[in-house]
Amino acid sequence: MPGPYRGIVARVHSESVIDIATERIDQPSVDKMLSAGMKTLTGAKADKDAWSSFFSSSDVIGIKVNCSGAPVIRASPEVVSGIVRNLIGVGVKPENIYIYERFLDQLTSVHYERFVPNGVQIVAIETPPTSLLSYDPKTYVEVSFFGEDDTRSNLARLVTERFTKIINVPNAKEHQASGVTGCLKNLAYGDFSNVARSHMREKTNTLSFIGTLAAVEPLRSKCVLNIMDGIRGVWHGGPFSEEKKYRFYPKLMMFGTDPVAIDRLLLDLIEEKRKAEGAPSLWDRSPNIIDRRAHLDFHKNTFIREPGHIEYAAKNFGLGEYDKNRMKVTSVEI
Amino acid sequence: MLTAALLLPSLLTPGTEPPANAVKLNEPRVEYRDDEASATRRPWIDANGWRILRSPDRTFVYQVNGEAAALAAAEAFSYGAEALISADAPGTNAFGRMLDFLKTVPPVNLPPVADFGVVDDGSDATAELLNLLTRMNLLYKIEKNQDRHFHLNVRLGTKEFPLQEARNPSVAAQKIRSQIGDDNRSLRVYGSEVVIGRLIAGPRQARVFLLNYAPRPALGLRVRIRGAYSQGELRMPGAADAHLADWTQDGPATEFTIPELRVFAVVDLSRN
Repeated sequence: MPGPYRGIVARVHSESVIDIATERIDQPSVDKMLSAGMKTLTGAKADKDAWSSFFSSSDVIGIKVNCSGAPVIRASPEVVSGIVRNLIGVGVKPENIYIYERFLDQLTSVHYERFVPNGVQIVAIETPPTSLLSYDPKTYVEVSFFGEDDTRSNLARLVTERFTKIINVPNAKEHQASGVTGCLKNLAYGDFSNVARSHMREKTNTLSFIGTLAAVEPLRSKCVLNIMDGIRGVWHGGPFSEEKKYRFYPKLMMFGTDPVAIDRLLLDLIEEKRKAEGAPSLWDRSPNIIDRRAHLDFHKNTFIREPGHIEYAAKNFGLGEYDKNRMKVTSVEI
Repeated sequence: MLTAALLLPSLLTPGTEPPANAVKLNEPRVEYRDDEASATRRPWIDANGWRILRSPDRTFVYQVNGEAAALAAAEAFSYGAEALISADAPGTNAFGRMLDFLKTVPPVNLPPVADFGVVDDGSDATAELLNLLTRMNLLYKIEKNQDRHFHLNVRLGTKEFPLQEARNPSVAAQKIRSQIGDDNRSLRVYGSEVVIGRLIAGPRQARVFLLNYAPRPALGLRVRIRGAYSQGELRMPGAADAHLADWTQDGPATEFTIPELRVFAVVDLSRN
């Protein structure tokens, strides 16, 4: 990261991709969005050429889904199955494709197995929760935030030992601590252990921690593609989605190798929606909006949000392009 | 206390009263505080190591039931306490299984490792501090007077550690931790907030006792011991074929993983 397409985002919208009343996703529309997004990003004429510019038959690929808002808000199985189909199309063996997430209960609630061919692996890293067995003891970030005893966050062994490449598939969500949870957050907090320690009371250290984690090798190098599933979204109370009233339906997907550029656009998406709903800005740091029952009231929040984590990751780790004037966003309507 | 690993706890015969001067210890356990308003919910541990270290020549008594009897036996063994354990029938069985294991641990003659000293004035404030230091795996030696061998000697009520500050023992404990520096600590435990370790060591070998106060195993527990050791042997009750994993010896420290720590483990480390 930021890969070959720094500052470049293909933004694909489809009005028909979801029926809002039933929340049913239309697979043919998803397939068209995937096709248009990948071809627009790479400039390839055919899907196979677009996908093979990133992946080959020898790859072992991790698809980092986001299931923290499951069962409703998650990397849509229709999107994930489309990705899997294209990977198999360029010769990747199903058994070398891993759909993965940190926690088993969230992952299994989505039932990806119903959408992908036999052989595709569906794996939770931290099983059971707090187990360090599937984390690499030699690859970690060590930092103390609040005087916690365990100061390490270890990277998943799948990333250090098994995958050759990663496709990052976040959702379009507000996040009570980090402002939004997009590409960077999904990668950072979804591949390392012991990350919840970065929040305590109203304070969160997501400003610096997200970029720090995302920049750790080999995670940084192996994540070669980001596909944001913004078909559904959450504009308040994230990363969870307990309240239907805080969901919305952008009906879009964003494609890029640059996680910062996509997350920069996500900031605008969530901020505009919150503005339209009369909610405080993501950037509002007033103490008077802090309330632990914020999920009941969109005027409140649990933490002081840190949407600056995206710019921080760009400036301090060179993870991508934050300046919209230097970005190239191509919008496609399906 | 030098030959801490030689003392085996005893079961108090039902109906027998413990000696009148025996010090009563708490049931060793963990108390989760999920209802507290915090994203990092640090559980509280009822551990007795600090009490034993504070009065090493006393006899201790545990009144425990069920599996807690095994943990009590392991705790007393780790700190070299002369301990009596009063338990119900399931506790008696649990104690018996642990005692069988403890008898298989080879005796060693190694002094406890400490990274700093604490001058014990006998006060409740110092007691609370010792309790917290033990729970944080900050290895101390209890002193009557300051020991010049240590870079840091803590005495509550001094300018460096005022009593006012010690009213919140976690502030004082974090200050001590900060002054030692995590890299310089002789023992670190990663992957659990409820595992307490005790370290004894000599020039060529070391032994670490690890007590898991939680009712569930710690999986993938990572341990860092200051010092360069080339080999290690893991002993755990009910796990005869258990082995250390992911051994690393890098610079001033040695690290290893215990794949599954149930109640208790003894790890012997040695240099070539």
